[in-house]
Amino acid sequence: MKTPGPWNKVAVVGAGMIRFGELFDQSYEQMAAGAWRACRESVDLGLDPSQVEAMFVATQRGTLWGQEGIGGNTVPSAIGLSGVACTRIENACPTGSDAFRVGAMAVASGVHDVVLVIGVEKMRDKSAEEGLLARAAGGHPIYTRGESAPVLFAPFATRHMHEYGTTKEMLASVAVKNHYNGALDPFAHFQNEITVDQVLAAPEVCSPLGLLDCCPQTDGAAAVLLVSAERAHEFTDTPVFVAGFGVATDHPYLHEKQDYLGLLASRLASTRAYEMAGINPKQLDCAEVHDCFTITEILDIEDLGFCEKGSGGAFSAAGETAIGGSMPVNTSGGLLAKGHPIGATGIAQIIELWWQLREEAGPRQVALRNGYALQHNVGGRGSGVSVVNILTRNAK
Amino acid sequence: MNTPRECHSAILSIGVAAPSLRLPAAQVAAGWGRAGGRGQVAVCSPSEDALTLAWLAARRALDSASIPPEEIGGIWWGCTRAPFAEGPSLSFLGAALRLQTNSEAALLSGSPHAGIDALLAADDAITSGRVRTALVIASDSILPALGSGLEAASGAGAVAVLLSAEGPALLGQVTTQWSPVLDRYRGDLETETREVYDGRLFREQVFLPLCQTVGSALTADPSSRWSLPDPDGRLGRTLGERLGSVKVVSTAARSELGDTGAAAPLLGLAAAMGDPGTLIAVGFGGGRATAISIQINAPVPGSSLVEQHLSGGQEVSYTEALRCRGQLSASGETVEMAVPPGSAMFVRGSHEMLALLGARCLACATVNTPPNVHPTCISCGAIEFEIVPLPLHGTVQTFVVNQTMPAPFVAPLPLIVLDLEDGSRISVQGASDGSDLHIGVAVDLQLRRYALERGVPIYGYAALVSTASENTIERPSA
Repeated sequence: MKTPGPWNKVAVVGAGMIRFGELFDQSYEQMAAGAWRACRESVDLGLDPSQVEAMFVATQRGTLWGQEGIGGNTVPSAIGLSGVACTRIENACPTGSDAFRVGAMAVASGVHDVVLVIGVEKMRDKSAEEGLLARAAGGHPIYTRGESAPVLFAPFATRHMHEYGTTKEMLASVAVKNHYNGALDPFAHFQNEITVDQVLAAPEVCSPLGLLDCCPQTDGAAAVLLVSAERAHEFTDTPVFVAGFGVATDHPYLHEKQDYLGLLASRLASTRAYEMAGINPKQLDCAEVHDCFTITEILDIEDLGFCEKGSGGAFSAAGETAIGGSMPVNTSGGLLAKGHPIGATGIAQIIELWWQLREEAGPRQVALRNGYALQHNVGGRGSGVSVVNILTRNAK
Repeated sequence: MNTPRECHSAILSIGVAAPSLRLPAAQVAAGWGRAGGRGQVAVCSPSEDALTLAWLAARRALDSASIPPEEIGGIWWGCTRAPFAEGPSLSFLGAALRLQTNSEAALLSGSPHAGIDALLAADDAITSGRVRTALVIASDSILPALGSGLEAASGAGAVAVLLSAEGPALLGQVTTQWSPVLDRYRGDLETETREVYDGRLFREQVFLPLCQTVGSALTADPSSRWSLPDPDGRLGRTLGERLGSVKVVSTAARSELGDTGAAAPLLGLAAAMGDPGTLIAVGFGGGRATAISIQINAPVPGSSLVEQHLSGGQEVSYTEALRCRGQLSASGETVEMAVPPGSAMFVRGSHEMLALLGARCLACATVNTPPNVHPTCISCGAIEFEIVPLPLHGTVQTFVVNQTMPAPFVAPLPLIVLDLEDGSRISVQGASDGSDLHIGVAVDLQLRRYALERGVPIYGYAALVSTASENTIERPSA
């Protein structure tokens, strides 16, 4: 995408989610309906459901609840919009953020004026062993055998610690900060604070990462309403605009990474998003980044340009990414505390930024200086897919 | 009258392999509420079996002879029961050894006599002139019946020798004798090997008569050193006495590993091949016994490494051994491999996985691994490649240790990104508990069983921190 920014053709005028957690009592369909209801109620000037012209459903891993491949017609039916144009998007951990990007492009293209993007993921219907852990038996029978989710990121921790002197305490500071934020977020899976000592004492999951270095397996749903910028004021007086986005890929095998110190896909995606939005990282007021593991957030804040490569551990430990810090990151609690229902994750990050940019984030509110905020996911085999969306409250 | 016949080939080198676990017999006894139990047996870890042991012994024999695999005319593999009871055991082993796919190959099985069968068949191929260099492998890892005496007697191990027309050790006289009797037994519907006869009936009417006949029929001078079968840990000594108090050199391997079945005759002589003189191996099984004499004229390459390659091993409890042998498993389902063994993916990809092949870009020399999912070079985008074997040695770029894994995985499970000697890179499992790993440490790759998926063994490579000896072996260029 070569369009120079700002690219404020699309506005977010509604955003709502259900509280994330182990939602054993809710079906996939019930979670979707809950997110839709919250989104609809968030539209300041009201939304008539018949105004929704198209939907994009973000569900990454239907196999986790045994219903692969049908989200594209299940969700419209579940939320009372059967008949509407609907497409399911899957793009690894950035599934939700990529569905958002695709929805924005659908609006920007002029094909649709009002688009609902909804992310829904059931992570806990199967046992932990049969759920996400079972991905260890997926992929290539030899070259990815045993590659559970932490294996995508823990090798970077090993190398980052070796190369830059990053410590387990520095990693722990990410978990402590995000749990602190999560305790302030009524939608977070975990709403309790933790200490560095607790993180260090937690059982090892995938050395060098321990239990509290890892995000939980979480059910959840989140939805946002996108409209063309010209029509935004039919829905709200305080729209948030899509300033830019970027998507990038990298080779899928762990042994094909350029190095084990950062994620190339994140660097490429963010470079493209900054270029499209016409801003640099210093102009961001806050960010929601992919902290599936503590090391991931440290890689992210380096790859996204918030601090120098290699300094992410110290930057985090110094409190720079806390709500009152120079670059607040994951004010929602992040994946570590809010949870990571994959398809819903990116959309929920967008929702947090929507609240921040509308100054509706309550005790988590950051100071707005420039009116820009960044959302980021990275994942897939070899962490080979990244999506970055940049939002702004500034009209064109 | 049992008149000796003659063999005509020579041994160029030898390699041996032992599994990584050792089970004290006392632990087995205690498991059944009994006191006592002497000695120990070698037990395969979940990633080891008779095929991976065969591979390791063969690699070591090839390394010691400095003969590249493409010069091997054929393999003769003796194994009581190969990992695929019916199936491609032999072609899997051949692929993993990177042999030419048109080389001769024969799998001899059905009893512990199979190791001797393999040696004699390969000798014929050399003697006839049909094959210049033959790889003979004998390996075993049987599943002993629960509660049987085999549990504390049957071990696991492998031996490989390279045969050619000339070499430092010459095969000589052979005598053989058979009788239609049972010894240890496993029927078609049985998964475990069991004993049939009363112990004294077996000893006096089956084992000793057959072995004594073939042993005493050889022309052996008193200085000859013998490898004698020893199914229960006592019969070997008795046989030695009945043969005239001969000098038995197989005791050390027997004490370390237990009865290694098909591998036992040559494994028992392996260390002794370093000293000139006459060696005699006696093989027994399936109602048959064979004795063969070997004249050592100069130390056989590889023989000096035997002691080291058989020693070590981690002691395990009876419970752990049962788990490793698959005789004790948790209830419930295990996680299935996303690609089933019947998938066409394994038809496309099996050879490149077993032989550990990469695709070297003809334009920029980047090695793309695995080849069949890389039609385009990851570095430069070119589309022409040369298929190359990857080195089996490298250093750790980075690693993790999975501490929590769903069955059938066994934690701790290290996963390692490895920089290979030729500059290429792969990711593989580690074969240790991970505590010996650090960035930059040198590792060797060994063929291991990655999974037993829907009953089908799946093989790949796992990394082990290099031992000094593996590093000092002169290696043929890959």
